[in-house]
Order: sequence, then structure tokens, then C-alpha cells
Amino acid sequence: MPISLSRKFQQWVSAKLDLPEDVIMDIPRITMIGHLHLYIENHSGLLSFSPEEIRVLLKHNHGQMIIKGKDFVIKTILPEELLLEGTIEMVKFIKE
Amino acid sequence: MNNDKIRKLSGFVTLKVTGSGGERFINALIREGISVWNIARLEKEVLSMQVLVRDHAQIRDVATEYLIHVEILDRSGLPAFLQRVKSQWGFIIGIILGLGLLYFLSNIIWHVEIRGASPELEYKLMKQLRELGVYEGGLKFLVDDPQALQKTLTSLNEEITWIGVENDGTAFFFQVVEKERPEVEGPEPPRHLVAKKEAVIVDYFVEKGEPVISINQFVKPGQILVSGLIGQEDAPEVVSAKGKVWGKTWYKSEAQVKMKAKTERLSGNKYEKRFLQIGSLRIPIAGMTFADYNNKEVNEVIQRLKILDWQLPLAFVEQTVYELETVELKYTEDEARKLAIEIAQKDVLKDLSTDAKIVNHKILHERMENDTFKISILFDVVEDIAVEQMIR
Repeated sequence: MPISLSRKFQQWVSAKLDLPEDVIMDIPRITMIGHLHLYIENHSGLLSFSPEEIRVLLKHNHGQMIIKGKDFVIKTILPEELLLEGTIEMVKFIKE
Repeated sequence: MNNDKIRKLSGFVTLKVTGSGGERFINALIREGISVWNIARLEKEVLSMQVLVRDHAQIRDVATEYLIHVEILDRSGLPAFLQRVKSQWGFIIGIILGLGLLYFLSNIIWHVEIRGASPELEYKLMKQLRELGVYEGGLKFLVDDPQALQKTLTSLNEEITWIGVENDGTAFFFQVVEKERPEVEGPEPPRHLVAKKEAVIVDYFVEKGEPVISINQFVKPGQILVSGLIGQEDAPEVVSAKGKVWGKTWYKSEAQVKMKAKTERLSGNKYEKRFLQIGSLRIPIAGMTFADYNNKEVNEVIQRLKILDWQLPLAFVEQTVYELETVELKYTEDEARKLAIEIAQKDVLKDLSTDAKIVNHKILHERMENDTFKISILFDVVEDIAVEQMIR
């Protein structure tokens, strides 16, 4: 299980060196400003998008993220970043 | 945001993207390194998004691959703005031309006015001004500034004492003060000089005629001082006697001074009030104070509001209230005498010509009466006593 071993090593480095996990492990980092903005780093693509719901695929098998709310507009989308604007009501993670 | 500025400068378009799998299309675009922003879903299979103009062709390629229809909804940013401006070129040119015309017209001299000059001088000045570029229809920026113009005109015309040059917008005003030429006197009629009042001759200066007086002589009014008849007695020549005869004359004057006087003067305390006057109603605006003086002097400046020549029933009133204080003056007898003499002197001189001089004074009588100092003085005055009298 080489993947699992490398993951364990990363976790160990992160813990020992007191580094944030998202830097070492490409874990998605989500920043919210109230219910107005949601900023996702380390996503890997849009799955579905509508004014009420957005699904985003996360990197490295971290699963999907579902955000529900109203009046969604994607303000910016870059290969690893996404800025969502609207009224955010719910954020949900789905592990695959 | 810097990003935003780049977008605006290079121009961007709003696209309408129709087709299923809009999300996959977006993923493909960002994988290609195309920046996409403001994505919103308009309908079930319709998205709107904004992209840079320069990415448009590449987006078309990707769209064909993903079976997506792309349509431009709107163009924004600087290139689009310029294009819009280009289509309204005529309008812009019109504005620029209009401003240019306004500037040009405001630099034309519309009015030249010369005041205070005689018709011939006015004509001459107008001619000179035309050479200097000041004429109706001339261009203002080709004309020197008023000071230089004033200098030139003064040096060009000897008959001008002073010329005021005023440039008020598109009009030029010239205020001329002409030199007064001494009037050419015609031949003077033959005359004597006679005394106008009783006097003792002090000095005389005769330009023309035969003096018939001597110094220290007492003369009576009407007595001939300088005769207009010269030469031999049997065949006299008639001239217009001219000269000055200084005679000592006497005037009696009386004056009185109150030993105690009350006068009012400003104490230096003041306050200011401002009103808005509507009709005859005054509304205080500023300077509300409860300070009030027993004795005061009020100075008012009323500024009436005008629209062109039409008087509005509105006015600003600026009031300055000064406090008056009562001062009691007390004189000693010496001071009272001095003051009384001064008053009497002024009283005498005010009726005489300006070259009359008081040479001496003698106090005839003085007394104190009910706190009032009364004095009567005799003044010795030296003045020109000669008046002309025609020879018939």
C-alpha cells in the first residue's frame, strides 16, 4: 500500500513540523466570508452548477463538495481555485 | 483588483453558452488556461460567462469539440468603448468644435469704448488702437495686456494725462483724461486795482499799471491802489492793471468754550449681526447675542440680491453694533483759552481767501460765565486786498 504509506508520512511531517495540512497534502482549503462568498482552493473541476447548487470535485480522492444556496455566480474559476458568490446555505462533503 | 484592470484594458465579452455539459466545457476551458469569470446559469442549459476577447477564438474551438453553441451577448472594456466612441465620432467632433468655437468667440473683441475723450482724440485713439489690434472683431490674444497698452497709448499721445485701460471679458474700455490746456486769454479790458476793505498796505507787487500807494499807507474800500492809466497825465495810456497788494486788515471774532463737556466716543466694544431680509422681515442668521449696550451706534451694510437687473425682495444685512461711552471733558482755563482762540481763528479764516494769513491776535475781552469761557479776540490778517475795477 504505497499510497497509504506516503499519506502516513505526510501526516507525520505535518504533525512534527507543525505545518498546515493543506500545504503538504493538497487538502482542499475552503474560506467563507459570511454566507456571501466561498473560496475553494485545490479543487479539480466543476461537476454541476446551477443557481441553487454547485458540485465541485476535490483533488486526491477527497471526494466531492456540495454547496447549496441561492443566486450562485462563479466569480472566478482557475485550475485549482474557485470563488463562489451568492447566498450560501449549506456546505456538504461527500467521501467516495 | 489588478486582474480587473487588465480585463478592462484588453477588453472582454459576455458569452451566452448553450448546450448540455456546460460544466465540463468550463473545466476544459480552465484546463486550457483560459480565464473565465462571472459564470451564472440563465436557464437549464444556458450559461453566461465573461472571457477575454483574445481567448474568444480558442473558446470557439473548444465549444465545437464539446458541441456547445457560443454567442456573444455584450462587449465591454476599453476596445469596445473605443469602438462605440468611433461610431459616435460626429458627435464628439461636434462637441470639440463647439468648445473650440466658444473659445474662439470669447477671444474676439466685441466692444471697444473710449470715454472722456474729445471727438477728434477719440478718432485718433481708435486709429491707434486698430494698429495695436484693439478693434471690434479683433482677436484678444493678439493684444498686449492692459498695462502695456496703457503705456503705449500714453507715450503715443501727449495730450493725454492718463488713460485707464480695462479689459472686461470681450470688451475694452478706455477712460481718458485729457490735459487741460490753459485757455488763451483775450486782451484784457483796461482796469484799475482798488481796495476792497480797510487796510494798511504791507507789501505790493505790480505787474502792470502804476502803483499809487506806499507801504504803511492806510487805504479805504474803493480807493485806487494800482492805476490803469500810465504815462503822462495829459495823454495817459490805458492798461489793464495787474498785481497783488498785501494789506493788513482786522477782524474781531468771538468764541466760547464750555469748561465741562460731555462727548460720546466708541469704546471699542462691538458685535456683529447678520440677517436675511425678506421684504421687511428680518431673520437673524448669525451673531445672536444678548449683549446689548445702553448707548450704541449701528452700522448697517445691506446687500440686495439681484438677478441681472431684477431686484429680488431678498437682502443680506450685516450689522455692526458699536458701544458708545460717554466721556466727560474738563478744561482748565488755559486749555479753554487755547481752544477758544483756535475756534475763533478758524472762524475768521473760513471767510477769507486761502492766501490770507493771521499774523497776530489780541485778546480784547474774556470772562467766565456759567461754566462757559467766553472770549473776544482781534486778529491782524495779511491778505490780498486788491480787486479789479473797469475804467470807463
